[in-house]
Amino acid sequence: MRSDMGLIVKTTARATIPLIGIFGAYVVSHGHLTPGGGFQGGATIAGAGILFLIAFGFGEMKKRYNHHLYSVLEGFGGLVFLGAAMLGLGVAFFYNALWHEGPILNGQPGTLLSAGYLPIMNLAVGLKVFTGLISALFAIAAYRRWRE
Amino acid sequence: MKKAFGTLALLFLLGVLLVVASPSNGIKFGLGGEDWKTYRYTDEYYIQHGMDEVGGTNIVTDIVFDYRGYDTLGEATVLFTAIAGAVALLRPWRRDENEE
Repeated sequence: MRSDMGLIVKTTARATIPLIGIFGAYVVSHGHLTPGGGFQGGATIAGAGILFLIAFGFGEMKKRYNHHLYSVLEGFGGLVFLGAAMLGLGVAFFYNALWHEGPILNGQPGTLLSAGYLPIMNLAVGLKVFTGLISALFAIAAYRRWRE
Repeated sequence: MKKAFGTLALLFLLGVLLVVASPSNGIKFGLGGEDWKTYRYTDEYYIQHGMDEVGGTNIVTDIVFDYRGYDTLGEATVLFTAIAGAVALLRPWRRDENEE
């Protein structure tokens, strides 16, 4: 079964997948400073995964994709989001306690370690979107009932 | 007959929307000056206080994750449900597994 691309596409994918991943991680981690955030960055990193799936084929993806791990990571991202929202539960749900009196992440606005729970939530949502989109795309790629 | 009625209803709704969206008797576009203070006072508040109250310089992230955090929570839930539904529906059928 040859469902993968040619040599040029594979080599280009090998070069661009890390770049896309790094750019997506930048968009996620700087969500509170620059345009973007968890959803956009997560979709960008998922684009790198989809490029891997298309360039190297379904068989190669199947070796590296672990269904249980991605399910667990998606649930974990949602739980981290909820946990960050509950940090200031003494005052209110979604009270940004880390920003108002927290020990970390309360630096000068505009620096990376600022904005309270916003970076944590961005990372959680980015992880959730990435794993979710990869799971969905893998399920679609594995669905090949029209084959015979 | 039903189709013609549906088309007429769609045309009527489109006409109503066009009337409502025209600046002379409905919503306005490109607000500025006094109109901004009248119709966009919430945006004014977010722009003025977002950085002090939340800490992020990206106002959109401030609103989405702090002021309207419940909305993002629901959005994440919708995404989770969509992924779960898609993966559940795309699992191989029992008959297909027997064939292979």
